[in-house]
Amino acid sequence: MPIRRVALVWLLGALAPSLAWADNPLVVEAALDREVAAPLLDAFEAAHPNIQLTFRDHSTLEVDARVADEDNPPDVVISSAMPWQMSRVNEGYAQRLESPEARAWPEWAKWRDEVFGFTFEPIVMAYRLDLARHMLPPKTHADLHTLLTQHRETLRDKVTSYSPVRSGVGYSLFQQDARYTTRFWDLVTAMGATGTNLEANTRSMLEGLSEGRYWLGYNLLGSYAMVWAQSHPEVFVQVPQDYSLVMMRMAFIHRDAPHPAAARAFLDFLLGREGQRVIAGETPLFSVRSDVVGPYTAQRLRDQVGERLYPIPLNASLLAFVDSSRRASFMERWQREFHRLSRPEPSQGEQSTESHIDKFPQR
Amino acid sequence: MIEVDGTLKSRLAFWLLATVSALGVLLLVEAYFSSQRAAERAYDSQLEAAALTIAEAIRWEGGQPVVEVPSAALQILATRHQERVFYAVLDADGHTVSGNLDLSISPDWRRRVSSQPTWLNDSYHGTQWRLYGRELDSAGWETQDPVQIWVGHTMSGRKALTEVLFEHAVTRFVIMVLLAGILMLLAMRVALSPIRRLRHQLRQRDADDMRPLDTRVPEEMREMAETLDSLFTRQREGREALLRFTADASHQLKTPLAGLQTTSELALQSDSPDAWRQALAEVHGSAGRTSRLASQLLSLARLRHAMEASATARIDALALLHETAFDWAQRDVSQAHDIGLASLPASPQYIQGESWALRELLGNLIDNALRYTPPGSVITLGAVCHAQTLEVYIEDDGPGVSSETLAYLHHPFERGGRQDTEGSGLGLAIVDSIVRRHEARMQVESPDEKGGLIVRLFFPYFTQHEEG
Repeated sequence: MPIRRVALVWLLGALAPSLAWADNPLVVEAALDREVAAPLLDAFEAAHPNIQLTFRDHSTLEVDARVADEDNPPDVVISSAMPWQMSRVNEGYAQRLESPEARAWPEWAKWRDEVFGFTFEPIVMAYRLDLARHMLPPKTHADLHTLLTQHRETLRDKVTSYSPVRSGVGYSLFQQDARYTTRFWDLVTAMGATGTNLEANTRSMLEGLSEGRYWLGYNLLGSYAMVWAQSHPEVFVQVPQDYSLVMMRMAFIHRDAPHPAAARAFLDFLLGREGQRVIAGETPLFSVRSDVVGPYTAQRLRDQVGERLYPIPLNASLLAFVDSSRRASFMERWQREFHRLSRPEPSQGEQSTESHIDKFPQR
Repeated sequence: MIEVDGTLKSRLAFWLLATVSALGVLLLVEAYFSSQRAAERAYDSQLEAAALTIAEAIRWEGGQPVVEVPSAALQILATRHQERVFYAVLDADGHTVSGNLDLSISPDWRRRVSSQPTWLNDSYHGTQWRLYGRELDSAGWETQDPVQIWVGHTMSGRKALTEVLFEHAVTRFVIMVLLAGILMLLAMRVALSPIRRLRHQLRQRDADDMRPLDTRVPEEMREMAETLDSLFTRQREGREALLRFTADASHQLKTPLAGLQTTSELALQSDSPDAWRQALAEVHGSAGRTSRLASQLLSLARLRHAMEASATARIDALALLHETAFDWAQRDVSQAHDIGLASLPASPQYIQGESWALRELLGNLIDNALRYTPPGSVITLGAVCHAQTLEVYIEDDGPGVSSETLAYLHHPFERGGRQDTEGSGLGLAIVDSIVRRHEARMQVESPDEKGGLIVRLFFPYFTQHEEG
């Protein structure tokens, strides 16, 4: 069997030059909604009609698991779970991209020329119109805390946020929040006290808001929320006025990519002017490049929100977030703070089961 | 024959280049390794700092070490060059408390680190890693087990820093070589300027200008300048001697020729056959003396000009001495004198020389003694063996010469202040030439006030080496 596979690989290798432009598959493993990314993928297929793009959309944790799949590695890996992406790159799963686009990419949005943050997505709060009828919608983290404390009963079960256990993005965001201020834990306590519902992704939160189950959502991906708000007038998006985290989707070419040439073409497209133009104009992912014009650019966001944007730094410090003992101690504190003021019910439901099932979730 | 063998400049340049290249290679090798060491040190201290930062974050909870890895430590580990990073915190049993890669730490390494912090290189998945481990003795309420902290990163930063440092070293070296080359060219010009000055001066001299040089030269050229000077002096002296010799010879030949003319004139004015006969006899005698004078001049000229091309042989000086003395004692001219031999050394004494020249030498000395001493004088020949030389002497008990005359007695036409003899004054000059030819030494002295003259000749012994 191995001999046959080697022979097959050899045959493919020998035929590759002639096939290169005729039939060129490309597998992209991504934690990125297909609808959101559709214009980008269409533009890529238009620019490279010879590359047959297979786009697989999964959750961040699934994407992370696929990276280590030795038998069937993807060509390109895209994920918003920055610490996990960084950890995979640190483990050596990425290959360096040597191209003008890679070299020109801003230093703060790449690491080792192997992994690139190609979007600039603000983290926002979202609320339903019902909330505004009862109270002044929150503009800052402090407002949110005050609101949760003062209107605990009104907001009971009406608040939603990411589950740090089931979502890598959510966990990263809370870690980053906790780095900035210890008052974050007061917020967690307040969230726990109002019986906040923890969701695995932004979409669920947005759906809950539209359905009226939730009135207020905290730490949503701005990219999704803004698009949602356009078609759902009952949902409002608020970029926090004190500070707003910015998450970057990170893409890298897999070390064992079966189609490295196509993978390089894809990444060059993502980082290039054309790809970024599509990101800025047709997706809410926000372009990083400063020379691109469109409704969704980092520059425009800065102009609107001011200097309160705090991109999660794309460097080795991210690795600390996935450190198992650090994660364990963070989760322990999270549970402690979350349950501090909530009534100790044995059937606490989601949270306790969560802690049981996913104390150390697979990455 | 002057053969041009390159230039001094090219030689200096060649040696400079050779030295600089050889030294340069050594320097660059050294520079590379020291760059490497510097880079190692710089980045090793980053590893140490990261390990300390992690150590700071270790706490004991319920008898277990707990660590919340600080982001700062990871950033320190990653460095500016965005290295891939590794960290692990191991408990006393070697179990991982926290860590990020499955890079295994061998028990051997753990033992080494337990005694002192250690740096080491390791290969992980085909990449070179630099690791650093240190042990932390931490106090807890339940346990006091040591904890080991291991950190590491890939080595691209070290390579880059090494390259940068090495590049700087090479740049510095190249600039230094270029500067040194330019300075060396200037220095060569300055250093060689005395040679140029001397050449200029020599070129400008008149052909017959034999004055000593008047120039400034460095110490290294002093010998050459002095040699040049002495060459000039010798040439000057040679020329002067030649002029004097020619003048003296003309004068010497003029006197007997004038005598001949006078005698023949007087004879022509006379009608007496007796007077003719007497005049003829005088002419005959005078012609004989003149002929002898001419032959002596010739022999002196030959000796002086045929310095080279001589066939020397091993000669028994005593036998020669004996033979010559015996030969002269039997001649008519010496009947009025008593020529004798002092007691000679028993064994034969060999010297290097030409037998005709030595015979001429002894003959001239005996002839001189016969001419410059009154009849009845005793002439003694002898030989004495010294350590280095063989002394041959000839002694007479004639009137001797004054001490101030002794010094230039060997000059041609010098007759020791005596004009009363038939001698031409060339005898000792010939002797002097022959003595020099044999690398011997001549010493002339008057032993006491009463008179007498002794001529001592010191010949070097014949040596086997010279024969070979």
